[in-house]
Amino acid sequence: MDALSYFAMSWLDPSLLILTALGTFLGIYVGAIPGLSVTMAVSILISFTFSWDVNDALCLMVGIYMGGVYGGSRTAILLNIPGAPSAIATALDGYPLAQRGEAGEAIGLSTIMSVIGGFIGIIVLAVAAPNVSEFALSFQPRDYMMLAVLGIMLVGSLAGDSLAKGIFAGAMGMLIGTVGLDPLTAEERFTFGVTELWNGINPVAVMIGMFGISEALNQLHHLDKMAVKQKIDRIIPHWSNIKKYFGLSVQSSTLGVVIGALPGTGGDIAALMAYDHAKRITKNPEVPFGKGAKEGLVAPESANNAAVGGAYIPMLTLGIPGDAVTAVFIGALFIHGLNPGPLLLTEKPEMFWFTVGNLTLANIFVLIFGLTGIRLFAKIVECPKGILIPLIFLLSIVGAYSINNSVADIWWMLGFGVLGYFMKMYGYQLGPVILGVILSRLMDENWRRAIISEREDLGSFFLNLASSPLSAFLLTSIVLIFLSQTPVWARWIRPLWAGKEDKAQA
Amino acid sequence: MKKRLLSTIAALAFAAAPAFAAEYPSKDIQGIIQWGAGGSTDAVMRAVSPHAEKVLGTDIVLTNKTGGVGAIAMKYVNAKKGDGYTLLMGAENPQMYKVLDLANIDYNDMIPVSILARGTPIFVARNDAPYNNMQEMIDYAKANPGKVKVGSTGPGGLTSIVMAMVDSQVKLDVTSIPYDGDGPALTALQGGAIDVMPSVLGASIEHVKAGRMKVIGLMDETPHPLLPGIDPITKTLPGLEKLLPWGPFFGVFVKADTPADVVTKLSTAFNESAQQPDFKALMDSRGFTLMGISGKEAQDFLTAYRSVSSWIVYDAGFAKKSPEEFGIKRPE
Repeated sequence: MDALSYFAMSWLDPSLLILTALGTFLGIYVGAIPGLSVTMAVSILISFTFSWDVNDALCLMVGIYMGGVYGGSRTAILLNIPGAPSAIATALDGYPLAQRGEAGEAIGLSTIMSVIGGFIGIIVLAVAAPNVSEFALSFQPRDYMMLAVLGIMLVGSLAGDSLAKGIFAGAMGMLIGTVGLDPLTAEERFTFGVTELWNGINPVAVMIGMFGISEALNQLHHLDKMAVKQKIDRIIPHWSNIKKYFGLSVQSSTLGVVIGALPGTGGDIAALMAYDHAKRITKNPEVPFGKGAKEGLVAPESANNAAVGGAYIPMLTLGIPGDAVTAVFIGALFIHGLNPGPLLLTEKPEMFWFTVGNLTLANIFVLIFGLTGIRLFAKIVECPKGILIPLIFLLSIVGAYSINNSVADIWWMLGFGVLGYFMKMYGYQLGPVILGVILSRLMDENWRRAIISEREDLGSFFLNLASSPLSAFLLTSIVLIFLSQTPVWARWIRPLWAGKEDKAQA
Repeated sequence: MKKRLLSTIAALAFAAAPAFAAEYPSKDIQGIIQWGAGGSTDAVMRAVSPHAEKVLGTDIVLTNKTGGVGAIAMKYVNAKKGDGYTLLMGAENPQMYKVLDLANIDYNDMIPVSILARGTPIFVARNDAPYNNMQEMIDYAKANPGKVKVGSTGPGGLTSIVMAMVDSQVKLDVTSIPYDGDGPALTALQGGAIDVMPSVLGASIEHVKAGRMKVIGLMDETPHPLLPGIDPITKTLPGLEKLLPWGPFFGVFVKADTPADVVTKLSTAFNESAQQPDFKALMDSRGFTLMGISGKEAQDFLTAYRSVSSWIVYDAGFAKKSPEEFGIKRPE
């Protein structure tokens, strides 16, 4: 009964209700503007809400978080600039949908799927938080490394026509990701003695350049072509459509919750892996992936919003942040005199249900604000190119600058934009580059940690891969996914399976 | 209409330009936090700044500028004008930059506005580790060379210095595994990826209270009120007495050529803020010792810290340059 009253706290108190609504609304726009990140917005709010009551402050911040993760999809669909790294996978099929005149429906579908994902994340948080957090903690460096390997295999999905070019692009991304001080030893790598390069090249700058600027440059080729007329009669997707994608959404959300709950990974990797999963299990998409497949929109949007609930799991139960935003939340709780840690739930049991209730409320506001104003937004795509292209440039430059308030990031962004334009022209896909940048650090750090723990003994490293059930499962997945993409599979293994099925039927 | 709009914009632009020759502070102050959002430095600075804002009567805009073990933020602040409008909000790391060859400046080349608080390092271990105090850990490590996995936060971080201190007394063969910070390392400890972690008391105390890890050592000369029954390490390794007490700290710094009256204003503001009851309560609950010192006292503290840490890493063999090169005296 107590739980219910805490759950309903932010629903019944008008000021908390309004703050959550305001937070969600602001979050959607913070999320939609590339470079303005939720982490940044929440950090700023900590100082801003310092003198507030802790519940008021939390309502506003939770709203921003929930809204922000969803908001990233807006610009990804409309302008091909993901508002945040977690919306990269959304752009892959969302933007082609907008190009076909279905921006309105794409946004509508992504809203519904985000909300479904959000709810699944919240439900898992509410019912299974302690178990999930213990599971998340059991991931060893070698398991993180294998997750990164699983992620890297996405290159196969993102490569387009030529796998070789995809691998090249992915490797280039990895290389970009290794620039800067070595995370383990603080030695300089590819910095050429320049202090500004110590921090590496910001992945968001690479992302904005490669997606936004290169697309804008590409559009210059089609200046005379009329913009696609947007169909805006149907915003809320057909019930049958929701039903059709519901299964995929649930699967992607489950993946999202787990990846979100892992302290070392967040919504960006969750979304990309969900996209890969969708591509693998969808046998005959109506439209091919990369050309505007709805599955390619449903999976990442469910996964990244589910990751929000996931990220809260270790934070609320153990005081361990599940991602960068929850890390800031922990700081906020400290400042408000709470001790976020494993004892939080015993000392302040109301915090848990209050947060769950608040997340649920914010998720409902995402649905409301997400579905209003779509017609207006969809019109953006219909803008004449003469307005649209400068708009993309403006947004990209503001976005790149606001990552770190540094002009250097604008130059990186523009540089990668031009590079991306030429790469596209010669048939190199840009998705693998971003993938490489995002995953390089995860892979680099954890591979080295894993091998250092074994005292650089490869033998015991591989022995341990098989010793724990989790590692063995991940290793098997990698091997199976890899084999399923090779001719070996098609020639020998699949007929074997097919043969068995025949027998079973007979 | 267009004209009116233009003139409005022009007027706005003028209004936004900084007012010249006004009394300090006449505009927003930038606070550059050396470490990432959500870390302990971040939390301390965000807790103290609103109080300082009140005293100074202006906004302090906080930005996290991470990377290079904090050297990027430090270089950034030193590249700005020394007018007191850019503050470096950092932890202890820069005092090691010279011997580790990360940068050619440290806090002794800046002016300390206020050293806010200091932490106590402790040793925590995973619950099922077969040792319960330092002596048992040392014996176990000797009997099983290479078996004990110790979390580390990179060369020059707290863990590396604490381990070097132990190493100066007793040679141990342990495997050191680097993490991004004490947060991720303490997470790994709970997952069993590492066995032991030297960490600052405040970062691990909540996990200890909840019984998710155990304290096996206290890097201090005297017992700590939050840790009853834990012997100070000097009981096991008496040779450490001359190096202790030693601990990480949080402080606010400005560039060396900042006018004295500006420094005084800032120091007063931050030292006063450090005495606010809610900040005190935050520090107590996190196991930090409140300091709030500036001027000569702060400089002496910084010099002593640098001397102990520089020599200890130099003797342990992972310094890139000798402290002598920089005129850093060996602690007596």
